[in-house]
Amino acid sequence: MSWAESGSYDFDVVVIGAGPGGYPAAIRAAQLGARTAIVEREAWGGTCLNWGCIPTKAMIASAELAWQARHGESLGIVAPGLSVNYRTLLEHKQATVRKLSQGIQSLLRANGVDMIEGQASFISADRLHVRGPSGDRWLRVRRVIIATGSTSSFPPGVPTHARIVESRVFLDLPELPARLLVLGGGYIGCELAAMAAMLGSQVTIVELLDDILLLLDDDARAVVRRSLERTLGVRILSGRPAESIEAGDSGVRLRVGDETLEGDVLLVATGRRPMTEGLCPERAGLPLDPKGYIRADARNRTSVPGIYAIGDVNGGPQLAHAATSQGLIAAEDACGRSPRPNEHLVPGVIFTHPEVAMVGLTEREAAQRGVAVNVGRFPYAALGRALAAGEREGFVKWIAEADTGRLVGACAVGARATDLISEAAVAIRAELTAHEVGRTIHPHPTFGELWMEAAHVLEGAPVHIPPSRKT
Amino acid sequence: MPHAIAMPKPGQFTEECTILRWRKKEGDPVAKGDILFEIETDKANMEVESFYEGVLLKILVPEGGTVPVQTIVAYVGQPGEPIPEAPSPPQPEGPASQRAAPPASNAATAQATPSATAALEGSVTAPRPVAVPTGTSVPPPPAATAVAAAISTPETPSKWRISPRARRLARDAAIDPSKIPGTGPGGRIVERDVRAYLDAHGYHRLRISPAAKELARREGVDILTVRGTGEGGRILVEDIRRAIAERPQLMSRMRQVIAQRLTHSFTTTPHFFVTLGVDMTDLLRFRQELKDRGAPYTVTDFIVAAVVRSLMEFPEFNSRTDGRYVWRSTKVHLGLAVALEHGLVVPVIRDADDLSLAELHDRAAALVQKARDGKLTPDDMTGGTFTISNMGMMNVDHFTAIINPGEAAILAVASTREVPVVRNGQVVVRSIMNITLSADHRLVDGAAAAKFINAIRSKLEDIARWRSEV
Repeated sequence: MSWAESGSYDFDVVVIGAGPGGYPAAIRAAQLGARTAIVEREAWGGTCLNWGCIPTKAMIASAELAWQARHGESLGIVAPGLSVNYRTLLEHKQATVRKLSQGIQSLLRANGVDMIEGQASFISADRLHVRGPSGDRWLRVRRVIIATGSTSSFPPGVPTHARIVESRVFLDLPELPARLLVLGGGYIGCELAAMAAMLGSQVTIVELLDDILLLLDDDARAVVRRSLERTLGVRILSGRPAESIEAGDSGVRLRVGDETLEGDVLLVATGRRPMTEGLCPERAGLPLDPKGYIRADARNRTSVPGIYAIGDVNGGPQLAHAATSQGLIAAEDACGRSPRPNEHLVPGVIFTHPEVAMVGLTEREAAQRGVAVNVGRFPYAALGRALAAGEREGFVKWIAEADTGRLVGACAVGARATDLISEAAVAIRAELTAHEVGRTIHPHPTFGELWMEAAHVLEGAPVHIPPSRKT
Repeated sequence: MPHAIAMPKPGQFTEECTILRWRKKEGDPVAKGDILFEIETDKANMEVESFYEGVLLKILVPEGGTVPVQTIVAYVGQPGEPIPEAPSPPQPEGPASQRAAPPASNAATAQATPSATAALEGSVTAPRPVAVPTGTSVPPPPAATAVAAAISTPETPSKWRISPRARRLARDAAIDPSKIPGTGPGGRIVERDVRAYLDAHGYHRLRISPAAKELARREGVDILTVRGTGEGGRILVEDIRRAIAERPQLMSRMRQVIAQRLTHSFTTTPHFFVTLGVDMTDLLRFRQELKDRGAPYTVTDFIVAAVVRSLMEFPEFNSRTDGRYVWRSTKVHLGLAVALEHGLVVPVIRDADDLSLAELHDRAAALVQKARDGKLTPDDMTGGTFTISNMGMMNVDHFTAIINPGEAAILAVASTREVPVVRNGQVVVRSIMNITLSADHRLVDGAAAAKFINAIRSKLEDIARWRSEV
């Protein structure tokens, strides 16, 4: 890449924030020949790697293993006296995070990205100030990619107390609370509730809205809720607000209706807000929207030429993989390439028990948009591999546009759903029809066959479901 | 015996009609007075009632079919009654027929010759008036063939023109076989022709998503005409949807008639244009006075009256020519362009020269209301000798109109504006309305047009005269 007057700038591209959006953006910019720096004020890898996706999955892996071992009687596994060493579990989590964080740093270094520790603030649209452990730096920059992410938000009226925590602090608690209260039935609340329940906590979820996980279609949500309640013994109070919260030395008390819930810890998982503290975007002429987001267009360009915003801070889907995709596109655009606009097909995964994953339209969204669809559903209970693995619970479904047969949505609930969803994402993005998926040979016996079987259902000719006897 | 239901003749000069919609299905009970179907003529849409009771036994002309008037389109009778072995109805045609005009319509009396009332405002995209010369047939619009080719489904070539295997291959490939040159017996398209065509057009290099191809097949979209917007030019569902949305659509019969007639007028009539500002200040004040007294007159009423009286003074503007003869009308039949949602109609105030201002107001109001209600009959819209197109309510400074075929001129009325003008050496604010006369130079010259348009102006500005009339 050749910049016309590179001499007047310290960097061609500076990325602020080294999360799952920022560090890939920096690497891509460097790959394209830009003199690139990345500024991180806290931890390389951002929320996803340090306090989000990765550490929770490390802990959920232990929780699942313990749960399977305790409930493996029907598969011949009896493990009396099995216990969980929570400290070792936390060490596994930390080791995983440490290893991946080092991996990111060495990737950035190997690509020649200048790594600057500190808080970045705009001075103007092309001047940044970074205050860090090694002192102050002033940078003249041609392009800036803002990737500062988001942070947990507390609803008003929640007192400050050591027993009231958000997800980041929760993951570092030295021991698992015996009685856990969870405020918020979104995906973060449900994942952590399921994890704690599998490790033996007594868990209660309080959700203001009518149900938990409202982004899911009813059929998928019903499976998750039933499993949380019946299998894991989680209590779910939905459609009711927490009217008062009190915390003391002995515990936390939550009043919901005429009932008072008691717990050792209250996990607040009611949402996240964009993180722009210290950034001073106004000095670059960059407005925040009423909710504090920095809005950007389909190639992540903000209203100020040369400044991009990617990931959680731009108000799009708050998902690490969406941020990564946007980061690559922003970097390419910043380096004068003409990337295609952001992908709008963003899969979602929820690591509850069982797992849930979806991509594209739900049935409800299709109805809201007036898109006529056909649905093909196939249950785990009819799949050989699932029965062999003792995973009878759940289903996958395809949602296809009625007039073209195009697959427009998919959902999987059940074991390995989060891994299964990628095939659906590829199929939907490629505009395949059920016919192509149904005719693709899927290896037997695997969970992946679920998609093929559901495609056969969609086409009206399932092999492994008896014909409905209509009279 | 079942009763034959014939296509009615809704207007004196209507030759054929299109069935827009059947309100009854075969087998539905029918009572006297029930609406059986809706038709579209070149001028209007209307509903057709049943004169009989019974059951709709058989529909002979489907929706969209165009047939000559008096053609049997259906039978109503008692359930189970046999349908007479009727001669099969004429093949429903496209939106136009090529039948020659009845000789009578060429008769040399002004009365019998329908005059047209279509007008087209030149520079403004306003709805256009429409009407058709009765008795004159409309040739098929030249677009029709192109349309058919472009939206053709793979069935387009008739059976003998393409072999079944070739047809299936073309359909699977989602291409339009009508463009393929045939090398089989008698020029028939055979499989190898399709394959050669696909190769010659780089079909195998095309990238297309399976769902997009399925949609193209289903909708008869020729994939070779679609530009892909996916990665590497891959054709996606949205590309096919765009092609469907953008493909040519047959215009309504009304618009086709507008297109045909106004093109004819604009290309064969030597138009010239004369514009004049009319000072409406006093008239507007006078009208307000009348309004306060409860009189209903509109500005248009005064314009109509001024025009009608001027036409009586300048009969050459109330005539028509074929370049050899001139037909002078002794009566004024004044067309008024009325904007509708999907076009424009020009109802005609007949014998306007016999009417007082109050009568003109009543007739104009009634016709405009009828037009807006879609109740005009073809006869309401024929026989005009001069047309006024008033866009005064549409916020325009000035525009020109196209003369309706069969007339000598048309008056385009723009919005009234307060503007500074010079009166007796002083700049004053007056309400000025620009009017533009389009005239047929074969019949009249500039000097006559200037006198005529000034006659209209002086009548509008002569308040004393209006006072004596109301």
